[in-house]
Amino acid sequence: MNTELILQHGLTLDEYEVINNYMQRELTMEELGIFSAMWNEHCCYKTSKKWLKKLPTSNDIVIQGPGENAGIIDIQDDDAIAFKIESHNHPSYIEPFNGSATGVGGILRDIFTMGARPIATLNSIRFGDLSNFKTKYLVNGVVKGIGHYGNCIGIPNIGGECEFDHSYDYNNLVNAMAIGHVKKDSIFYSEPKTIGGLIVYIGSKTGKDGIHGASMASDVFSEDDEDSKRPSVQVGDPFMEKLLMEGCLELMDAKLIESMQDMGAAGITSSSVEMASKGNLGVEINLDKIPLREPLTPYEILLSESQERMLAVILEENNEKVKNILKKWEIDYEVIGVVTDTKKVIFKSQDKIVVDLPVDIIVDSAPEYDRPFNLPLKHKVQKYDFNQLNIETCLNNLLTNINYSHKAWVYDQYDSTVMGDTIFEPGSSSGIVKVHKTNKAIGATTDCNPLYIRINPEQGMAHTVVESYRNLVSSNIKPMAITNNLNFASPLDQNIMGELVLSIHGLKETAKYFDTPIVSGNVSLYNQTNDEPIKPTPVIGCVGFNENYRSVIPTHFQNDGDQIFMIGKPLDLAESPYFLQDQLGLSNINEFNDLAKCDFALEKKHQDFLFQMFEKSMIKSCNDISRGGPIHSLITMMTSKLGFHIQHSDELSLFSEYLAGYIMIIDQDNSESIVKEAQAGGVDLMHLGSVKTDAIEINEFQPKFNSVYEVYKNNFSDKIKN
Amino acid sequence: MSLSSAVITFPGSNCDRDAQTYLEALTSQDTHKVWHKDVSLPKVDLLIIPGGFSFGDYLRSGAMASKSPIINDVLKHADRGGYIIGICNGFQILTEIGLLDGALNRNINLKFLAKNCFIKKNHDNHFNKKILPDQCLSIPVAHNEGSYYNSEEGLKSLEDNQQISFLYCNENGNTTDQSNLNGSLNHIAGITNKKKNVLGLMPHPERAFQDFHTSQDGQLILESLLG
Repeated sequence: MNTELILQHGLTLDEYEVINNYMQRELTMEELGIFSAMWNEHCCYKTSKKWLKKLPTSNDIVIQGPGENAGIIDIQDDDAIAFKIESHNHPSYIEPFNGSATGVGGILRDIFTMGARPIATLNSIRFGDLSNFKTKYLVNGVVKGIGHYGNCIGIPNIGGECEFDHSYDYNNLVNAMAIGHVKKDSIFYSEPKTIGGLIVYIGSKTGKDGIHGASMASDVFSEDDEDSKRPSVQVGDPFMEKLLMEGCLELMDAKLIESMQDMGAAGITSSSVEMASKGNLGVEINLDKIPLREPLTPYEILLSESQERMLAVILEENNEKVKNILKKWEIDYEVIGVVTDTKKVIFKSQDKIVVDLPVDIIVDSAPEYDRPFNLPLKHKVQKYDFNQLNIETCLNNLLTNINYSHKAWVYDQYDSTVMGDTIFEPGSSSGIVKVHKTNKAIGATTDCNPLYIRINPEQGMAHTVVESYRNLVSSNIKPMAITNNLNFASPLDQNIMGELVLSIHGLKETAKYFDTPIVSGNVSLYNQTNDEPIKPTPVIGCVGFNENYRSVIPTHFQNDGDQIFMIGKPLDLAESPYFLQDQLGLSNINEFNDLAKCDFALEKKHQDFLFQMFEKSMIKSCNDISRGGPIHSLITMMTSKLGFHIQHSDELSLFSEYLAGYIMIIDQDNSESIVKEAQAGGVDLMHLGSVKTDAIEINEFQPKFNSVYEVYKNNFSDKIKN
Repeated sequence: MSLSSAVITFPGSNCDRDAQTYLEALTSQDTHKVWHKDVSLPKVDLLIIPGGFSFGDYLRSGAMASKSPIINDVLKHADRGGYIIGICNGFQILTEIGLLDGALNRNINLKFLAKNCFIKKNHDNHFNKKILPDQCLSIPVAHNEGSYYNSEEGLKSLEDNQQISFLYCNENGNTTDQSNLNGSLNHIAGITNKKKNVLGLMPHPERAFQDFHTSQDGQLILESLLG
């Protein structure tokens, strides 16, 4: 086979050599296409696998860890929760609306493929600097796309994060997360069991969209790619997905399905190979049977990433029943093949075999690399001059920086109350939904601190994970398990590879300490354009639980006169990276001091203390402290009427980052008791002040309430519009 | 009084379960589920046409649903004087089948709008009699096409016949440009037909009735009917 063709398919010559040695014959074009689809980073994790294997993935609540369409955890009785996060970064840069919309579509399919009804979505989106000419266009398109898909199918969006940083100028990130509810005895897997079982195609017709999408997602961009790669972006149809979801859930409810796999990245190729591999069986599929939107060659059919399609295995005796249910939902349905015992993947077209590959060469021989990596350089200890800063300048810097602004412009475009079970909408410390017809509450959050991770990948990751716990704990939700989305630049750069390896290590150590296994995830590499890499952005999606939804704790101020307390250990200003970046304007990574070590014991102690205080109904509302320090936490707790009055001897430290930091709002009558409780528990509790109507008072500094509140509320939309 | 009810599901409806939960909780009886291809409605007092994106909102919101087989019996139900509430996409469908006057255009800012809003009652009818004249209801909206439109004569006719059931307002009950969040003519959030047995409403009362919802004001609409 000619070298150019092999390289065009994203395979290295060494990889081709492995295939050639095994097969001992020329590959067909279709077979080459299959290897191209299955051996890229997106599908086989060849760079990250070695390190991901080290993550803790099980404990007694894990029903399904990584390796299926989504991870599943036990939430008592016969209830379980399926969840996963996935990236759609590259498509969302090329075509923001459809790229992000299909990202949501893909992650929802991952959930309902397992028999779970989606009950919430979250996301994590990152864009370049606002001054970049494309940023506003991308923000508008991505937010519209996410909203369009989720709103139409009718799954509430309950939270997320949105950050701007120049490292994403040419590679914005779109990570979408979904959570579903399933009864434990009704979980479906991708593994077929019956030889002779019918392989059926369910959903939209196959077209040319998304051909080679997965391999595009595994490549570095160059400047002229934007237009030429647009045909690789899939186009989403949320209405079709809604029908597909209802149809599939009805089939599964009636127990008419043996196994199911969604046609996501690498379409029918990856879904059929996956099924054969899971079942340790073979599949034989007639490509002439695939419902087509337009005439396609077998090669194109195999690599199409048309959306809203499912592959399922059913028993022949159920064929009529399946057909009738799908007819009701007006969904295309076709028997396209059978499950065999050959351990081979065979595709036929026009009575000819176009693909005849053993499953093990595709799956088990898939490359796994131990790429060389560098450890980050030690940071020199640096001193900074903070004399130019005072409370007024710092507050002003914070309020006018879009990263600290109220994000309603974004989430007011997402339906967050559809399904009627939303308890906390976006804008709270964590998003919370009630499990329908139960008293159980599920909380979730997405988090990442890319600047921390660039400075110190291992500790930065640890800080990110504990921050996601703090978001949940503030709402009286116990963190249970994690899904992660590792977004990095090119792993062929040894420094980037080092960030990948060390941040996974940080995730491992943290997740082990707090017993929150990683049950699903996604890796997105090569997020760089030419030699402009993104900051390392391993996003954490953390899911937690409270068996009584009535005991969840709000984020915002409740009543005038309530007392404000704080726990946590402030980082020295010289060790607060976001303070240095956002207040002093540092940008070069060498200018920062090393990151302070994450204090697991202190985090745990504060978690335990808070849960005890929640149990005793001591706390009226609560928020964690993160980027922007206690001041930013207090600002996000304000309402249109309620501000705060606080006293603090070190004003600048109110903007510094914290270890294990929380703000707690206590009824005046409970103030003495909580002080005693803290003393008894050995927790350093600090009284900051009180909630005050129409006022913001920080020592002697007393800006107008409305001027602060309005800027905080409106800065985001003002900046995006202008 | 007791109130029997049904909810229609069209392909793409996504608030049908929410409407059912709302009805069953407040009427203390089971709600009938009706598929859009059914040709007859069960005998019920109240029919809800729920929110969502029937037929993907393709062509025009509500336009394709207006051709579903069940619509014939919906018209008969209205003719007999049975109650109908169309919420969000249901409101759009009611305008498409001619039970309600006017149309719902794209929101004024051309963006999907999902937030809590305030409404107050305007003209009295069966659907708002439990609501006090100055009472502001806090209820979520979630729509892309919610900007009420009608001709000048049409608006006058609604006014003359006392068909304007709900107006958008701010938390103090004032109708301002800002409180009119989707740019509806005359701040209209909900209208009835002339006989006042059919209500179309953009906000979602079925998302504002349980103890964990941001507000429980959505109960008042159903309670008004329950008498």
